[in-house]
Amino acid sequence: MAKVATHTKSGDKWVRSACKMCLHGCGIKVRVKDGVILKIEGDPDNANNMGKLCPKGQSGIMRHYDPNRIKTPVRRTNPQKGPGVDPKWEPISWNEALDIVGKRLKKIRSEDPRKLLVAINDFQRIHLWGWGAAFGTGHYFNTVGQFCGAAYHPFCGFFDGSFACANDYKYCNYWIQIGGGDGFGAHLHLSGSIKRMADARVNRGLKLIGVDPRMASYCAKADEWVPIIPGTDRAFILGMVYVILYELDRYDAEFIKKYTNGPYLIKPDGRYFRDKETQKPMVWDSVDNRAKVYDDPTIKDFTLEGYFKIDGIKVRPGFQVIKDTLKDHTPERMSKICDVSPGTMRRIAREFVEEARIGSTIMIEGKEYPYRPAAINFYRGAIGHYDGTLDHAAIKLMNSLVGNIDVPGGHLGVGLDHRLLIVEPGEDGMLKPQPHILHPGVPFAYPPQTLQMIEYFPMGLDPGHLVCHNILHPEEWGFDFKPEAALIFHSNPLKNINGYPKVLEVFKQLEFIVAIDILANESTEWADIILPDHDYLESTMLTLCEPPEVTGHTLRKPVVEPLYDSRDGHDILTDISERCGCLNELNGLLNFTMFIKPEYALKPGRKYSHLECIDRMAKSIYGEHMGLKWFQENNNAVRPQKPEECYLPWKGNRISFYHEYFLQVAEELQEQFRAVGREWDTSSYLAVPVWREEHPLHKIPGEYDLYAINFKAEAMLNHCENTTIPWIKELVSNIPIHKGVLINTKTAQAKGIKTGDRISIESPFGKVEGLARVIEEIHPRVIGISNAITRWTIHPVERKMNVNFNHLLPGNLEFTDLASGHQETATKVRISKI
Amino acid sequence: MARLGMVIDLKRCVGCNACTVACKSENGTPPDIFFTRVLEQVAGQYPIVKKKYIPVLCNHCLDAPCVRVCPTGATYKRENGIVLVDYTKCIGCKACVVACPYNNRTLMPKGKLKEGHFKNHLTPYEQVKYKDFYEGVVVKCTFCYHRVDQGLEPACVNTCPAGARVFGDLHDPESEVSRLIRQRGGMQPMSEANTNPSVYYLE
Repeated sequence: MAKVATHTKSGDKWVRSACKMCLHGCGIKVRVKDGVILKIEGDPDNANNMGKLCPKGQSGIMRHYDPNRIKTPVRRTNPQKGPGVDPKWEPISWNEALDIVGKRLKKIRSEDPRKLLVAINDFQRIHLWGWGAAFGTGHYFNTVGQFCGAAYHPFCGFFDGSFACANDYKYCNYWIQIGGGDGFGAHLHLSGSIKRMADARVNRGLKLIGVDPRMASYCAKADEWVPIIPGTDRAFILGMVYVILYELDRYDAEFIKKYTNGPYLIKPDGRYFRDKETQKPMVWDSVDNRAKVYDDPTIKDFTLEGYFKIDGIKVRPGFQVIKDTLKDHTPERMSKICDVSPGTMRRIAREFVEEARIGSTIMIEGKEYPYRPAAINFYRGAIGHYDGTLDHAAIKLMNSLVGNIDVPGGHLGVGLDHRLLIVEPGEDGMLKPQPHILHPGVPFAYPPQTLQMIEYFPMGLDPGHLVCHNILHPEEWGFDFKPEAALIFHSNPLKNINGYPKVLEVFKQLEFIVAIDILANESTEWADIILPDHDYLESTMLTLCEPPEVTGHTLRKPVVEPLYDSRDGHDILTDISERCGCLNELNGLLNFTMFIKPEYALKPGRKYSHLECIDRMAKSIYGEHMGLKWFQENNNAVRPQKPEECYLPWKGNRISFYHEYFLQVAEELQEQFRAVGREWDTSSYLAVPVWREEHPLHKIPGEYDLYAINFKAEAMLNHCENTTIPWIKELVSNIPIHKGVLINTKTAQAKGIKTGDRISIESPFGKVEGLARVIEEIHPRVIGISNAITRWTIHPVERKMNVNFNHLLPGNLEFTDLASGHQETATKVRISKI
Repeated sequence: MARLGMVIDLKRCVGCNACTVACKSENGTPPDIFFTRVLEQVAGQYPIVKKKYIPVLCNHCLDAPCVRVCPTGATYKRENGIVLVDYTKCIGCKACVVACPYNNRTLMPKGKLKEGHFKNHLTPYEQVKYKDFYEGVVVKCTFCYHRVDQGLEPACVNTCPAGARVFGDLHDPESEVSRLIRQRGGMQPMSEANTNPSVYYLE
């Protein structure tokens, strides 16, 4: 018998569980033989990923067996701290470690809990994110929303009660994708999305337009790549909106009339024109030729265009306001901003409208729906900018114009969890805005109580990149406390937060850092105590996070016994809470964040294990018979979404077409600031997205002649810090775009730069060095930096190329979208050969 | 008799490299040794640029030059078309490495099995997997014959999120691979080499 790779079946078992190599949670099956993990595959019995698994998910073995894992609680013995400095950790017992942490945090809590910075970012344990609130501190010491979607999630929630969005893989035929990797390299449940997209492209002939400054994998696979200047996607979109409104004059009037506030009459001040008696917004009935309240049953036809005078007040429908506002957004003018030709904008706009098949319908499970198989999808690249809210609004506007919102073939909202889209009646016949799906809105306060100033972003997500600036300049906003400690739980603020010099200074000033994780990273290398968590192959969690098309939880369960003296991170936080006196508050928080019903509620004065919490969570969501035990036996409750859950889900409430709500929020915010004698710029709270010349990115002086972007949207990288995994390191080491700083051939020639040259990259805010990689597939005015070359941890596997993009960003309010809190994620630089 | 083969749909492949890692993980290959890879090919000049992702692996050729040149008979072909290396007979002369027109064979150098992905440390996983290898022999893709013998697909096919890799019997006109080759015009790589590969590509 030839000696070749053989595998005997004896002693083998396959254990079904859930992945955690990114934030999502595909179903997996894990082969264990004699206690050793030998393989991880996709679980074919999970409707989410259908047996498929991306390279990260399969690499979990190499993270599990990483000899650099934290094996026991450790205490720092080297008082010196700094990048690359060996902490010289020594093992200590759990009791000793927890006592040190508990004592320190208890003292802080009794003096002023705001002196603790909290960075909790385990995406599969979002229920723990609010732990700071239980402790008494509201700081968000990280920036996950900034590289994901402060301008993404809250606007989704405002718009249709969703948390995220994606086009309809099942029925879409014409898909424009801008700055996002859905279906190719990144974003919602990658493995299943790649499969759905590949089936649509190959089986159904879906046409794809990829818009991106560099040729990301989705652009490589697109029928057409449209290179664009970073931070100008809105100009591209609005140029096409102009074409639709003024040149093609084709849009879905019926959709806008029936399902949106497009027909509501607007006064010159931008606000609704209301009926004197009922205070309801009014519309114009073109048949009876008079104004009526929007829900008057006698309305024969809603008017979208025209100008009217009622009681001496000039009014026009929201649709007309949008059309008038955008009358100067011609493709010619927009082209000068975004560097996409007017001809391309006109052609794509025409194709988009034609492919949307306005007026057509489709029967699904016996019910007729509008059928609009053309849609624009996007992610961080398109909206991660100053005025990102307006970028998002522009994309939603173009989708709304063809009536493709939440209908088959179109642009669909995606829920964060089993709640799917959160559909509740709001005011004026509208859907209730849900901008705060991650945590409740934080009321206005002056001085602000949170260092990220979330109090001033009622339509935003915590702008964690402001934390360090405010710590270093407390006088600007009247902060009367100084953080002295940080708790870091599966998070890496030193690497992730932009404005690196400021973050570094804050790390130097912190007196005490406790970390909970499985491996050390750039931030936790500064920790005084590290408490080791189980990894995902050793622990239990009910997972679900933003799947498109499907819903329901998958159980992560221990596949093997823990390798080391670790504990479940949830239980560690519970122990810390007990020691610093906030256990009751934690129980109260978990009742809320784990959706625990009153009959299963965690009660004050008792400590609950994470398993008990998961059991109560499962029973609360699925009923008494489907607790933890059910999931341990059945693994998942994942099922396809029903048509009525994802199509036209608004239950008779209208969605926003003309965003009057933003004007209302801005007015309230202005009043609040006036009352405390401070000023705040709300000029970006607009009912209609426009191009604004105020954009500070494009005003960076001309000596910085190139735009700089970073990117993570490739399958082996997205949503995860995995370049310390040897298999991933091997992969990215062999892929040209991850080998250096990407520069277009012509630009490189003009600057005398060749592949492999060491170059300096300088923005107005910082400077880094890197190796040049000259390529064709990037815009000549842009350089690109892969996330695979940004790290510097002392972990021995990491490539340590340390072209940390965040050195180049400012981390300040000036470069922040004041409507959402999103940071500007691009910058401008000058480069030179060293 | 069956002739096992693979069809790779280049239209479907998105270059995610799930196959590359599935192969590493299934076969436990040591650092820098790959039985399959995904090549990236860029053509044209900005802004008219085309980028292709091209998965490559041993083609399990019908007229395999590696089988022909092997002086010890270590490289052999199974009846079902899978080309394998008998490590007990391989002397590491690399004649097959030179003969393979596709650059899909690798010598497992001396010391390679001690190295480990974490340098001077073999994980429990690697300790199990490396028992299947010899040093000083030539290694390559086996079409996961150990899985195929159990009725499973090769690991790369099993995981491919895009469904770009399809495995089956090229001799069976009703098989998915035969149907795809017929309907989409499957092409063998480097047909001028006259090796009659069992891997076909769809554009």
